[in-house]
Amino acid sequence: MTTIEARAVPTAVPRRGRLDGLWSALAPRATVLRVLAGVLTIIGTYLPWATFVLNEGPYPDKATLNFFVDPLGVTGFRLHLLVIGIAMIVVALLGLPAAGRIIRGLGWGTIAVAVINGLYILVQGGGFGAVTASDGAVAFGAVVALVGGLVAVLGGTAGGLGAKPELTWRLPWWAEWLILLVVFAIVLFLVAGVLTSGGQGGVVNPYAGAVFLSVLGALGGAISALSASGLLTWVSAVSERHRIFSVVVLLVVALLLPLTSAGTEYWMTVAANIGVYAATAIGLNIVVGLAGLLDLGYVAFLGIGAFVAANLSGAAASEIGIELPFPLVMIISAVVAGIFGAIVGSPTLRVRGDYLAIVTLAFGEIFVRSAQNNIGGLTGGANAIPNIPAVSAFGQSFAAPLTIGAVKLPSGVLYYVLIVLLVAAVMLVFANLKNSRLGRAWIAIREDEDAARAMGIRTGPVKILAFMIGATLAGLAGAFFAHKTGVVAYDSFQFIQSVTLLASVILGGMGTIPGAVLGASILFVLPEKLREFADYRLLIFGLALVVIMRFRPQGLIPDAHRRAELAPDAEDETPVVDVTT
Amino acid sequence: MTSPILEASGVTMQFGGLRALNDVSFGLAEGEVIGLIGPNGAGKTTLFNCLTGLYAPTSGTVSSRGTPLPHDPARVTEQGVARTFQNIRLFPSMTAEENVLVGRHVRMKQSPIISLLHGPGFRKSEREARERTAELLEFVGLARFSDELARNLPYGDQRRLEIARALATDPSVLLLDEPTAGMNAQETEATRQLIFAIRMLGTSVVVIEHDTKFIFTLCDRVLVLVQGEVLVEGTPDEVRGDPRVIEAYLGAPPDEVEAQIHEAEETQ
Repeated sequence: MTTIEARAVPTAVPRRGRLDGLWSALAPRATVLRVLAGVLTIIGTYLPWATFVLNEGPYPDKATLNFFVDPLGVTGFRLHLLVIGIAMIVVALLGLPAAGRIIRGLGWGTIAVAVINGLYILVQGGGFGAVTASDGAVAFGAVVALVGGLVAVLGGTAGGLGAKPELTWRLPWWAEWLILLVVFAIVLFLVAGVLTSGGQGGVVNPYAGAVFLSVLGALGGAISALSASGLLTWVSAVSERHRIFSVVVLLVVALLLPLTSAGTEYWMTVAANIGVYAATAIGLNIVVGLAGLLDLGYVAFLGIGAFVAANLSGAAASEIGIELPFPLVMIISAVVAGIFGAIVGSPTLRVRGDYLAIVTLAFGEIFVRSAQNNIGGLTGGANAIPNIPAVSAFGQSFAAPLTIGAVKLPSGVLYYVLIVLLVAAVMLVFANLKNSRLGRAWIAIREDEDAARAMGIRTGPVKILAFMIGATLAGLAGAFFAHKTGVVAYDSFQFIQSVTLLASVILGGMGTIPGAVLGASILFVLPEKLREFADYRLLIFGLALVVIMRFRPQGLIPDAHRRAELAPDAEDETPVVDVTT
Repeated sequence: MTSPILEASGVTMQFGGLRALNDVSFGLAEGEVIGLIGPNGAGKTTLFNCLTGLYAPTSGTVSSRGTPLPHDPARVTEQGVARTFQNIRLFPSMTAEENVLVGRHVRMKQSPIISLLHGPGFRKSEREARERTAELLEFVGLARFSDELARNLPYGDQRRLEIARALATDPSVLLLDEPTAGMNAQETEATRQLIFAIRMLGTSVVVIEHDTKFIFTLCDRVLVLVQGEVLVEGTPDEVRGDPRVIEAYLGAPPDEVEAQIHEAEETQ
C-alpha cells in the first residue's frame, strides 16, 4: 500500500536537501521575492539589451539602444518577458494555491529567454561588453531579466511550491465544447506562431534560430506555469470526455493551418516534411514504443517506400518507366516496405535486445549502400531519381497554387492537406492497434517476453507484425515524400536519419501519438531554424536533447504508464501538452 | 478413469552433464490438487518448465488428455495449461486489468485486421474480455486495484494478480510455482482459500511449495521430488509418515520435522 500512497501529489512541503537552510531563510520573504522577480523581469524588458546596433535592421524587436524611441511598443521576446513579469506579480499577489509552482515555471521561462537572447547578443557583439556596458553605452536588459528569472525560481521554491490543484469543474456540454474550440484555436495560432517564429532560417535571416529558441523558451515557461495551475490537466480531461469532438476539431484545426501566418509555400513545405517524419515516427513508435524492439535502421523503410514510388510514377530516370495513379503507387510502396519489414523482423525470432539493434543497423546500412551503388538500377545511385511528377487530381497539380473562389492558397497547400490526412490515418492505425488484443500483446512482449509466451502469445508472428505494420506506415510516408520533393536520393536515408527518428520517438514520449508528432516536429524543425549557426547547429541540437532527456526522461508527452515508471517523483512533473497538430 | 488431464511420462531433462530431472512420471486427474515438494535444486521448477513447454525434455513426453503437448509455451497455454512464476513475472507497466487482459489473449477472437479497423466483432470481443477480467479480479480480490499499475501493487497482491492472469487463459490445469513465497501467515491462508476456490471451478492444480503445512492441508496428493527423481508419491498422510521424506527432503533432525508436521495436523 505504501507504494501507492507515495505517488500522491506532494503537499506544500519545500524540497528537502542541502538547500534546506536557504529555503527556510527565504520563506518569510517569499511573496516579496516573487513580486520582486516580476518587477525585475519587467525592468529587464524595458532596458536596452545590446550596447551596439545589431545589423542594420533591429535585432528582433529592438534589442538595441534605440529602444526608448517607442517605449510601449514592446514586441518579440520582450513582449514575452513583459507578459511573464506581469503574470508573476499577479499570481504572487493573488495567492493562488499553486503560486510557488507557477512562478517557478515562469522563472525558468524567463531564464531561458534571457540566456538565449543574451548569449546570442554576446556572441554577435564579441564579448560581455555587448550585454553590459561598453563604449559609454549600457545595456543590462539580459542581466536584469536573468536575475529576475533566478529570483522567481528562488522565491517560488522558497515559499513552498504548493500542491498542483486538481480541478474537477463540470460544465454543460456546450460550454465544454466552446472551451475546447477556443483552446484548439489557440493551439492553432501557437503552432503557426512557433513554426514561423524568426522566419525562414539561413543566410536570408540570421536571427531565425535565436528567435525560435527564445520563443520555445518562453512557451516552455508558459506551459509549465499552466500545467502547475492544473488548467492543462483539466482541459485534457475535458477533451477526453468529448473525445470524438476533440479529434474532429483537431483535424479541422490542422487543415486550417494554411489560412494562418504559416500559409506560405515555404512553411507548407516545412509542415509537409514534418508530417512525413511524424508519420514515420508513429510507425517506429509501434516497433520501439509498443513492442520494445530497438530498430536503428528504420529510415530504410521510408527509403524503400520512396524509391518504389519514384519508380512507378513515370520519372524519366526510372528504369521501369511505368506511370501508375498515385493512390495505387502509395499502396504498392506501403506493401513492398511492409514485406521488407517482415524480412528484417524475422531475425527477431532469434535475436533480442542489443543484438537486434545491430541487425537492424546492418539492414539500414545494406539498404543505403545498395541505393548508393544503384544496385538493380532502381535507385539512380549518386544521380538519384529526379523529376518525379507531382501528384495531381481533377486537373489540379498538387505542386501548383490553388484558388478556391476568392481565396488564393500558396502552392504546397494540397500536399499539406494530403499529409495531414495521411498522418491522421496513421494515428488512427496506431491508436486502434494500441487498444486491441494485438497492441496489448506488443506491450506484454516489451514488458516481459517469457511471461508473454507463457500467457499464450505467439511472440514470433506478433513481433514480425510489429515490424511489418511499422514499415508499412513508413512506406506510405515514403511514397508521399517522393512525390512531394520530386527527387529521391539515397542520402536522405542515412543512419543519422534513423537516429533522429528514434530520438524523436524517445524525446516526444514512447508509446504516445502526440509525443511522436511533437518529437518529430522539434527534431526536424530545429535544424531548419538553426541554419545560421552552421557548425554549431548539431552541437546545439545535441545539447538540447541532453537537457530535455536529463529533466524529462519520460519524454515530453509521456504515456501515462511510462510517466509513473520514469518520473523521478511527482515533484518534477512538468507540462503535459496536448499538441496533436 | 479417463486419461489424465496432465500426464508426464519418463520426463528426463539433461543440462550438459547435469541431469536435472530423471524419469519423472505422474498423472493429474480432473479437479485434483497435487503438491510438489522437495529441497532447493530438486528440479521442481525445471519440471514446471518441461510441463509448460518452455523446455523440451531430453526424453519422455508430456501430454494432456492423451495428446502430447508441444514444446512451445504459447501453444501449451492455448491447450489449457497455465502457470505462474516463482519470481513474479507480471507486466509491471501495465495496469492490473491490462495484465489480466493479456491473459485473455488466447481466448479472444480478434484478428489483426479487426484490431486495425475496430471492425465488426471488435467491441463485442473487447467487452467480453473486459467482463471476464473484472470477474477474475473480483475473484482474487483485486477489483479495487483494476487501474493500478502492476508494479505498484503490494507484493502479496502481485502474486494474486499473477494467478488471475493465469486463470484468464481459461486453463484446465493451473501450475503455481511457490504462490505463497514471501507471504505472512494471513496472506498464506488467503492464498490457500483462493486455491480451494479455484479447485471448486473444476480446475486442476499443481502447486510447488516449501511450506509443508500449506501443502499437507491443501493437496489431494503430494509428490516429493529429490535430486530430479520422484522419491515418494501419495496422499498427504502417506507422505507425512514416510521416513524417507523426513530424511531426504527436509534434511533436518527428524523430531524437529515431526513437530512441524504435528503442528500441521493440529491446525487441520
